[in-house]
Amino acid sequence: MVSNLLELKEVHAGYGPRAVLHGVSLTVPVGGIVSLLGANGAGKTTTLRTITAGVRWSGDILFAGRSLRRMSTEDVVRAGIAHVPEGRGICTELTVDENLRLGAHLRRDGAEVQKDYDRVFEYFPVLKERRKLSASTLSGGEQQMLALARAILMRPKLMLLDEPSLGLAPIVVRAIFEIIRAINETSGVAVLLVEQNARIALDLSSTAYVLEVGRVAVSGESAQLRGDESVRRSYLGY
Amino acid sequence: MQEFAQQVVSGIAIGGIFASLALALVLIYNAMGLVNFAQGEMAMLATFVAFALINRGMSYWFAFPVTLVLAFVAGIAIQRLVIKPVERGPVLTLVIITLGLATLINGLAGFIFGYVPRSFPSPFSSDSIDLLGVFVSWRDLGVIAVSGLVLLAVYVLLQRTTVGLTMRAAAHHPEASRLLGVQVSWMLALGWGLASAVGTVSGIMVAPILLLEPNMMQSIIIYAFAAAVLGGIESPLGAVIGGILVGLTVNLAGAYLPGVGGDLQLAVGLAIIIAVLLLRPNGLFGRAATRRV
Repeated sequence: MVSNLLELKEVHAGYGPRAVLHGVSLTVPVGGIVSLLGANGAGKTTTLRTITAGVRWSGDILFAGRSLRRMSTEDVVRAGIAHVPEGRGICTELTVDENLRLGAHLRRDGAEVQKDYDRVFEYFPVLKERRKLSASTLSGGEQQMLALARAILMRPKLMLLDEPSLGLAPIVVRAIFEIIRAINETSGVAVLLVEQNARIALDLSSTAYVLEVGRVAVSGESAQLRGDESVRRSYLGY
Repeated sequence: MQEFAQQVVSGIAIGGIFASLALALVLIYNAMGLVNFAQGEMAMLATFVAFALINRGMSYWFAFPVTLVLAFVAGIAIQRLVIKPVERGPVLTLVIITLGLATLINGLAGFIFGYVPRSFPSPFSSDSIDLLGVFVSWRDLGVIAVSGLVLLAVYVLLQRTTVGLTMRAAAHHPEASRLLGVQVSWMLALGWGLASAVGTVSGIMVAPILLLEPNMMQSIIIYAFAAAVLGGIESPLGAVIGGILVGLTVNLAGAYLPGVGGDLQLAVGLAIIIAVLLLRPNGLFGRAATRRV
């Protein structure tokens, strides 16, 4: 029985000669929500990119007990990891519907895909209205919704979300975080959430890691970190 | 009037030939950000293969699809062996590689088949039929029908199938596509295969008109460039419409402008390229070249 869905062990990574991660270890339990916090440049985005083979890395990463070493991005994704990257990764040349179809394009369980479409349109009715339109016509918030919807349609075991709150109005952020919680609760998909907005991330997650210059500086239960004033002041800035 | 209508039909037929090659250029442009300068030569070599198959007794309508399949496979092989190793290299490297490929294929065709122009069979009779008072040749109608069917097939593949969707996604958004599990590298190879097959259609259609020899496509590729540029270089639909417009323009200019017939027709093609680049650099269907950062 594997209770940890994702496990990073002493992961080092970087771009060319510039090392960004200096031995990061963290775990995401099956069905859990974990947030990864820290200042700009701490290595949060790089950690996510490392998991989906966007960066060269050493150390070890286990997903469902299997090492991701030497796997290509496509293979990691096919193993069950949906990565909503920085900038959301929307295909703006395509329509909203085509973006959604791309999310489900590897699945062969047609009836289940249809159910997921229904669910996605229930969460994000605006996407149903705009199905035929080019994805480039969507607002920032709508693009974030599309990125999440597409990730749901991939039916992953784990979602990596890179700053879903970035550039969005507070009310939209709240709505999106409610949906992330709902996705997690209804389908049991685990979430590794990178956020600048530590307050809202700690509310959602059960565990949290704080990165500082490529190392885990603090980690623990989210509720505990939220209550620890010195951690809040020195690392989370609120 | 009668004569004008005939020229229009001939222009559309030759435009369909340009459109096929222009579409091939656009498919590669979308995948690699650069046109494939060897596209015409690849089509020429494939036409020689069709010629060899027909000469060995294969029927035209059997040799045609067989050649397209061979061209498709060859396109994939070229992408895998020649383009993929340098796909992250500077643009100039790719330019030189495709130019080198063009020279290589041209020389190879000359070496194997020689430089003597050969007549290539047309499956359509050279008779004309009376269509609403206009005499139209079966050849023109046949070329229009074949080009139309091929272009329609490409449209259906790209717009209506999952493979086509992933090909478009891989070409325009390689990074985002990878994160959705799309095998980007293979999709680009598939794009090369498709472009190679579509370009071959133009070679086979034009060979009965021009006579088959290794330099046959060198004027056609200029018209195809003109068509692709006119259509906005990124737009498959633009390439098709651009092809037909260029075909019409060249044919009508040849027929009615004094002195343009024959050699100067190519100058019309070049003039179209220059005019588009000067007056409307994004073509008819291109978008302004702005990038969000």
